[in-house]
Amino acid sequence: MKKAIILSLACFLVFNFMVSCRKKVEEVPPPPPPQVKEQPKVEKVEAPPVVKEPVLTEEEIFMRKSLEEINNEAPLNMVHFDYDKYFIRDDAKPVLEANAQWLNKFKTVGILIEGHCDERGTEEYNMALGEKRAKSTLDYLVSLGISSNRIKTISYGKSQPIDPGHNEISWQKNRRAKFTIIAK
Amino acid sequence: MKIRGILLYTSLLLLAVLFLHPQQEVVLSIKEGMPAIPLAIPEFIIHDSSPKTFAAAETLYKILYDDLKYSRVFQHLPKSYYSYIESLNPEKILFKDWESIQAKILFVGEISDGDGDNIIFEGKLYDVKAERGIFGKRYQAEISLLRLVAHKVADEIMKRFGEREIFTSKIVFISNRDSNDELYMMDYDGHNQTRLTFNRIKDYMPAWSADGKKIAYTSYLRENAILCILNPYEGERLEVQSRGTNFSPAFSPDGKKLAFCSTLEEGNSEIYVCTSEGKNIRRLTFNKAIDTAPSWSPTSREIAFTSDRGGTPQIYIMDAEGSNIRRISFGGGYFDAPSWSPIGDMIAYVSRVYQIFDIYVQNLRTKQTIKLTESNARNESPCWSPDGRHLIFSSNLTGTIQLYTIDYDGANLRRLTSKGENKLADWSR
Repeated sequence: MKKAIILSLACFLVFNFMVSCRKKVEEVPPPPPPQVKEQPKVEKVEAPPVVKEPVLTEEEIFMRKSLEEINNEAPLNMVHFDYDKYFIRDDAKPVLEANAQWLNKFKTVGILIEGHCDERGTEEYNMALGEKRAKSTLDYLVSLGISSNRIKTISYGKSQPIDPGHNEISWQKNRRAKFTIIAK
Repeated sequence: MKIRGILLYTSLLLLAVLFLHPQQEVVLSIKEGMPAIPLAIPEFIIHDSSPKTFAAAETLYKILYDDLKYSRVFQHLPKSYYSYIESLNPEKILFKDWESIQAKILFVGEISDGDGDNIIFEGKLYDVKAERGIFGKRYQAEISLLRLVAHKVADEIMKRFGEREIFTSKIVFISNRDSNDELYMMDYDGHNQTRLTFNRIKDYMPAWSADGKKIAYTSYLRENAILCILNPYEGERLEVQSRGTNFSPAFSPDGKKLAFCSTLEEGNSEIYVCTSEGKNIRRLTFNKAIDTAPSWSPTSREIAFTSDRGGTPQIYIMDAEGSNIRRISFGGGYFDAPSWSPIGDMIAYVSRVYQIFDIYVQNLRTKQTIKLTESNARNESPCWSPDGRHLIFSSNLTGTIQLYTIDYDGANLRRLTSKGENKLADWSR
């Protein structure tokens, strides 16, 4: 009887051992695929705040951005000029009209118009010419109903080219009036 | 063009003012045809044998020699002539010997060891024919200041011949060598290039005050192009005018006034004038055209400037009160950046012909114009040296914009800068 008990105990141990061994063997090979597939919780979590917050108006979104962020988005497009000239070209008019619309939408915005020239003029005369370009751009915006109190002008002459090249394509790019938003 | 090819010699001449038109008042004039003065500078006498003194003597000699060569007032005797006569004995100078090799002026330099890093230099200038001393001076200086000593000696020699000091003058300019346009300063020969402003904003168009102690310039600060006056030696900075774009300052030679351009009214560049401290701003030009680039006459009674009131940019002269405007450049081209010679009767400017910008000099008396630079490049922003014999200007001759000097007759082109781009130079008076 004692023997039988020992035997059955031994058997049990052996069986247990085998089971545990098999378990181990089984467990090692399958690379545990962490199944994080189901995440419907996110939807549930998000739901309540959406109900709380009202939809932001364009103006409110605008006001939340920093000046730098707004300027990076460049909502106002620059306009270009003919060589040695500062009149507003026909191709610049729709651009300025779009800019005026935008300025009408965001009525608190103040802007700086920078006048720039290409390298084919002298430093001194180009400083004056750059200002003329900024001024004629300002005048055109004013003619579209934008208050001149919202606009500042400055000239950089030819000291800040955006294209360092020495050909007509570069020069054309550099003869420009550029807009920067300085107040909102 | 007649002047070209002929060697021009210069000397100062006092002119009677009476016969001249009152607005064309000229006190000094460069006279052609006078030969440069033959000058002998034998090797300096060294009173001790230390390598320090020996090296200092060599350095001093070379700088002084180069300065006087640059002057166009003196002409060095050929070195070979010195071997024809007995070597120099400073105790007993044989003037007849020096006269026999055609020296008119003799400079004798003696150098000895001073305390520590110092040397002592004694310079004496002699009139060979009259067999007498013109001046003698002793300098004690650290080795690091040898350039300054040599320049001071050279200026002293110039002064004795009625010339203006040029070798200790300073040139202020704009460089982007440290990535941003900042003010820099250097010696007349391009040595000792020193940065003056340290900021992240653009600094532009500097101009020296008459006493060489202050610099007016444009600073692009807070979305403005502000006219500032900087004292680089004391670090003080004053804002003169901030509304509008303010640029192209020019101090009057009498030290009383500062002219500049501003767009503060109607967004058009007009010329304004204020005191040299930046007070009492007054407008001088009144029209819808561009008026820019003022440059004072040596008498401070007139201002040359650029205007496109006639359709294209041309050079005009007005009285310092803004009246009596007359045009001096003619032709359909493009003229800008006048610089009135401190000697009086010359105006240098830039003219554009077929996209090439060259420097021209117009003689106001003879109305003769000579072309100073001849290159397939953009030569810009001329400014005269204090003695009116040289000009500094910027050029993209080598691809990048650098500063060069050239003599009044187109000779002796020298490049002064190489790091980054360098432009808009102004030479102290």
